[in-house]
Amino acid sequence: MDKVAILGGGPSAFYVASRLLSRVPADRNRNLAVHMFDRLWSPHGLVRYGVAPDHPEVKNCTHKFDELAKDARFRYFGNVQVGPASGRPIPHVVRLPFDEIPRSYTHLVLAPGCPIPTTHPALPLSSRVIPALDLVHWYTQHPTHPHAPPLDGARHVTIIGQGNVALDVARMLLTSPDVLATYDVPLSVLEGLRTSAVEHVSIVGRRGPLQAAFTTKEARELMTISDASMALLDPVLLVPSADTKLSRQQTRVLDLLRKGSTTKSGTTKKTWSLDFFRAPTGIQESESRLRLSLAHTTLDAGLRAVATGATSALETDLVVTALGQQLDPSTPFYDDATRRIPVNASGNVLHPSGRPFKNVYASGWAAMGARGVLASTMINAYNVADNLAASLLGSDSLSPNFEEIMEKDVDPAPPALVREELEKGNVMSYEDWKIIDAEEVRKGAEMGKERERMGWEGAKAFLAASKTRA
Amino acid sequence: MCCRLRLKTFPPAARHGGIKRPAPGTGIKVHFKDSKGNHVKTIEGNEGDDLLSLAHEHDIDLEGACERSVACSTCHVIISPEHYDLLPEPEDDENDMLDMAFGLSDTSRLGCQVYLTKELDGMTATLPAATRNMFVDGHKPTHH
Ligand SMILES: Cc1cc2nc3c(=O)[nH]c(=O)nc-3n(C[C@H](O)[C@H](O)[C@H](O)COP(=O)(O)OP(=O)(O)OC[C@H]3O[C@@H](n4cnc5c(N)ncnc54)[C@H](O)[C@@H]3O)c2cc1C
Ligand code: FES
Repeated sequence: MDKVAILGGGPSAFYVASRLLSRVPADRNRNLAVHMFDRLWSPHGLVRYGVAPDHPEVKNCTHKFDELAKDARFRYFGNVQVGPASGRPIPHVVRLPFDEIPRSYTHLVLAPGCPIPTTHPALPLSSRVIPALDLVHWYTQHPTHPHAPPLDGARHVTIIGQGNVALDVARMLLTSPDVLATYDVPLSVLEGLRTSAVEHVSIVGRRGPLQAAFTTKEARELMTISDASMALLDPVLLVPSADTKLSRQQTRVLDLLRKGSTTKSGTTKKTWSLDFFRAPTGIQESESRLRLSLAHTTLDAGLRAVATGATSALETDLVVTALGQQLDPSTPFYDDATRRIPVNASGNVLHPSGRPFKNVYASGWAAMGARGVLASTMINAYNVADNLAASLLGSDSLSPNFEEIMEKDVDPAPPALVREELEKGNVMSYEDWKIIDAEEVRKGAEMGKERERMGWEGAKAFLAASKTRA
Repeated sequence: MCCRLRLKTFPPAARHGGIKRPAPGTGIKVHFKDSKGNHVKTIEGNEGDDLLSLAHEHDIDLEGACERSVACSTCHVIISPEHYDLLPEPEDDENDMLDMAFGLSDTSRLGCQVYLTKELDGMTATLPAATRNMFVDGHKPTHH
């Protein structure tokens, strides 16, 4: 039989599974099983624990994943960590040694995403210098439970980095909690936002508006928050030099920045600013405030940021680094040089010798690097799934010069450890997740919001109770 | 415009758009082509139907990850230029999503935002090329 293990249960994993099962018809290959493992108990990766609460439409992609999960050939095993993982541990996670996978499966797709935040060498982390991902994990109640950010004492927040995650975090800090209350924001988080002292958010980038990583959509959303306004930008920044050829997105971003926020500067209590051409060089923490040293920068011929020699200091209360994310270095097949899982054009994982591993694939952010919206994650996943399907259907074109680690003859059951823990209620199936999902939505509706999230303990207790009732 | 409704809220979204097929030969014709320009299917729709819902109704591989909320760009299609010019201008939010679309062209639109009118009869909608190798360039393993 063909038995595919998917390591990770984010959108990349789900798009691979969905495409694979639609490409391999159930009648043609009755002996196909797809088992998906995620260290988080609930499925969908960053769609649940990343996408901002005020982007509910983005989460509509999970309806397709729900449809896929009805396929009898598919099983989800949540709360199962395959192999080691760096970063904050999940106390209740079931640990499946990686070696169990090649022993129990004929094929493997690695889709673990990029869960490690990139840090800044000049900004050591502390209780007041935190990665954006911690804030995201706080407002999504991620199972690693980061501390709540100290917002009650933070009048001035500085975000380092100008990508979409930086803008997500800024929007969460600047939007009125009354507006956020109808979305999927946990009550404890709303409480924290209601006692927040934040009045200004500086979004700092070392290059200019044309190089900023945020998309027009995210910038527009920030511009249209009803009770926060953007500090006026120096108009000089918004005039590209005569010889610059602007892309469509650059032209539209410049237009947007020229128009400024819909609520005009000076009319709101909360404000924000885009601070271009500034690079942090150090931070001094005193008891009351933080003092962030900034080098002023300009662009060299290759559009890299270089210091001009001028410097300034920014008094602030909380620094949030939004500098991207990385693959966990303890992931199997991790390549030091690229910090990714190395793959060829078909998505086959490559051995350090350059030879592909037969029947081992990687997809999503782990293979592409931590950039790209769901649309690009999906396209990449479909490419991997098409190649995997071709290999299952016998039209594989892999060169004979490959490495092999996967078993050829396996039995259909999940590994014994997973079976045992599943019986004890320590592993979440997709059916059980749908029960929790419905309960979260029901609870939310009672409170006039999209959903109220449950944690692992609550979910486990709810499932146990609903099973004794049944 | 009568039909520029946007599903900006969470479910229930019209996943099949409530499409009713017109009697053969009476509807507005749309030709779908794949990214290589090969003809996939010619279908017929009614005034007010959107291209994404029509594609789903006729099993054409066009994704609609956000279910017509203008939040994903997976429904991106390239319209025949003569018909593109007949469409109402895209709004800011559609343009914002097109900024992120793969294989963008001068006549790109979001399929979920293109509503049929009689004058669009004979329009071609081409699925964009998802360049396979764009994700793997530049990170072949290096040896030290
Ligand atoms: C904060 C944030 C907001 C975003 N907002 C948007 C948005 O609004 N719109 C949009 O289009 N895109 C958005 N994106 C991008 C989108 O989330 C990504 O394109 C997509 O999630 C990548 O999918 P993935 O499956 O590769 O990774 P992930 O979603 O990270 O999934 C990987 C999964 O693997 C699991 N895993 C890792 N290691 C192991 C292990 N050892 N064992 C078991 N499981 C493991 C993880 O727990 C995780 O669930 C956002 C990204 C971030 C970071
Ligand atoms: S379906 Fe998402 S933008 Fe059209």
